[in-house]
Amino acid sequence: MNKRWIDTNTFHYSEFSDLHRLVDEKQRKNLTISLCLPTLNEEKTIAKEILIMKSELMTRYPILDEIVVVDSGSTDKTREIARAYGADVYEASEIFPHLEKFIGKGENLWKALHITKGDIIVYLDADIKNIHHRFAYALLGPLILFDHIKYVKAFYDRPIAIGKSKIRPTGGGRVTELVVRPLFSLFFPDLAQIIQPLSGEYAGYREIFEQIPFPIGYGVETSMILDIYEKWGLDVIAQVDLDRRIHRNRDTKALGRMAFAILQTFIERKIKLGLVNYKEKLFDEMIQFNLVKGEYKPDIYKIEDHERPPIIEIPEYCNKFKRG
Amino acid sequence: MSDYLEKLPGFVDTIKSIKETVITNIVLIGQTPAPTFKEKQRTSIFMERLAEFQVDECTTDGYRNPIGIIKGTSESKPPIFVVAHLDTIFDKDVDHYYSIQENTIRGAGIIDNSVGVGVLASLPEIFRRLGLRFESDIVLAGVIQSLGKGNLRGIRHLLKTWTTPIRGAVCIEGAELGRLNYYADGMIRCEIDCNISPISGFEHKFKPNAILVINEVINQIMKLRLPQKPRSRVIIGKTSGGFKHGVIAYDASLGFEIQSNSDKMVKSIFNSIKDIVEGTSHEYEVDLTLNTLSNIHAARLQFNHPLVKSAVNVMKKLDLTPVSGPSESELSIFLSRNIPSITLGITRGDNHHQPNARVEIDPIFTGIAQIIGVIMAIDNGVCDE
Repeated sequence: MNKRWIDTNTFHYSEFSDLHRLVDEKQRKNLTISLCLPTLNEEKTIAKEILIMKSELMTRYPILDEIVVVDSGSTDKTREIARAYGADVYEASEIFPHLEKFIGKGENLWKALHITKGDIIVYLDADIKNIHHRFAYALLGPLILFDHIKYVKAFYDRPIAIGKSKIRPTGGGRVTELVVRPLFSLFFPDLAQIIQPLSGEYAGYREIFEQIPFPIGYGVETSMILDIYEKWGLDVIAQVDLDRRIHRNRDTKALGRMAFAILQTFIERKIKLGLVNYKEKLFDEMIQFNLVKGEYKPDIYKIEDHERPPIIEIPEYCNKFKRG
Repeated sequence: MSDYLEKLPGFVDTIKSIKETVITNIVLIGQTPAPTFKEKQRTSIFMERLAEFQVDECTTDGYRNPIGIIKGTSESKPPIFVVAHLDTIFDKDVDHYYSIQENTIRGAGIIDNSVGVGVLASLPEIFRRLGLRFESDIVLAGVIQSLGKGNLRGIRHLLKTWTTPIRGAVCIEGAELGRLNYYADGMIRCEIDCNISPISGFEHKFKPNAILVINEVINQIMKLRLPQKPRSRVIIGKTSGGFKHGVIAYDASLGFEIQSNSDKMVKSIFNSIKDIVEGTSHEYEVDLTLNTLSNIHAARLQFNHPLVKSAVNVMKKLDLTPVSGPSESELSIFLSRNIPSITLGITRGDNHHQPNARVEIDPIFTGIAQIIGVIMAIDNGVCDE
């Protein structure tokens, strides 16, 4: 394991709190930066994220050039509220309308590459209760200040919200510790140094994101790390401590489905890289059981492993961004 | 004087143009828990935000009240204070994270007093946007230990140790927009605790029930004949007690306030309640104690005081209808020191002291314009007469 990495490429958000410095460097390097918020029914939190980012990182410090919401077809007021607070709002299904339609976070992140204009793209989950502008500027700090860093991942304490108005101080990260870290330790020990590989907050240069495939579902974070590591190595990756992130608590079954999708992506990658010789087709259904009136009844979820190709392979994208 | 009045309606749109910054301040400060006596974290955030907006001085006084000072153009004019209390009634483990919709913000403590404190922190930027400079220094004070057992200690200490004269003051509360408080009732805030020994034995066979004892005290307080003049009342505000449904309560407590526009009457009612407590304690053979948590003297400006008249004009110019009533907040401490002062509300809201309290966003900008109008009036000398 490359033990040096965790020392040299791990930062704390406070190292980037001098926002004047970030603005100066951004302008000197002539960079544009887009913030993308993928959404599905996030009416409770979306306004706060847009407001705080707009106030602190657009109005007061010109760090972000645009805030873009890519929505998976919310049935609540997410899109309406996001528009009211000044974000550019797109429905994922309207971007590349001629392509087969999928619903998933990865789909939104991939399509965001086409409709954003930034050299750097910051992706933040839209359900962060304790949103603060450090979530964006801390991810941008290493990318703006250090030329060799191309992709930055967040990590934090993870208190969880319990009930309507209480929070529990510790918890969360179960899929990371029970699934992802053991897998990384077994196959890619270097990557086990990434404290929260599944965090939904990361930023990177367009030139990186456009060259990697995006699974449409939960596997997107894992695949992103694996692909960037395989293509460019560990040193282009950095991680930043954002201190604290309050998130919704998911039940064990939901986490089980998440783990399924991550394993699915991981194994597909291993096969693709020739690291595992597995001839059979993997099944794509997660089978869980519920006890109903004394009987165990199966709940079967189909979790397909659709994946978008590197967007640089899409002609409209190449035309728009003058690639190839 | 009417010059600045004419500008006020136009101010609303300019203030609205930095809506994101005002709401960000409200949210970032309000999401930091600050139960009374534990305001340290919110104090830091408040100071951080003031420093971000580049006030001329940013410090804390000896009691750790955070203060920002915007220097005025005159060396000789006394400062104008703008004050909002930092503490809330919610414990740290209550979810303080706010939810924002198209025209509302919802969450614990948003009305009392995150909106007030967030607006206070936004004032330096708002003054800059409006191109306003004042003759007086503007002292922006987020005072601690205001509510309940805090007994307004923060503001008491701040004013006690402020050695130079103060020109006038505006106290900011989250709601309701349109309130105009210029007098404070005399008030004594008390708690009665009833404790019954849980020791069993022959002599304790028929134990009294602490809840019923407190109930008897309430009944006797209700029987007191309170005068309409001087206007007086007893507010029964809090009760607690007991362990479980099937067990006699060994302890119970009652929180209440005596309010009157006459200090003499407050004292007289207090003495009557003291007699009730002593009598009940004796008759029921229980340990019944009466503790005073807070004591405020009645003080007021007259309705025809220039500050009150100016505030009414400012509010009318902004199409607000002034509604007056007594206030037992920071206002009373300013008035008791003969500093002309009023309390104003910023916006409209509901579920005031609930975890799901809610405020409207749109009226906030009118509420801020009103505060600025009153500061301009004070700076123009309405309190100097």
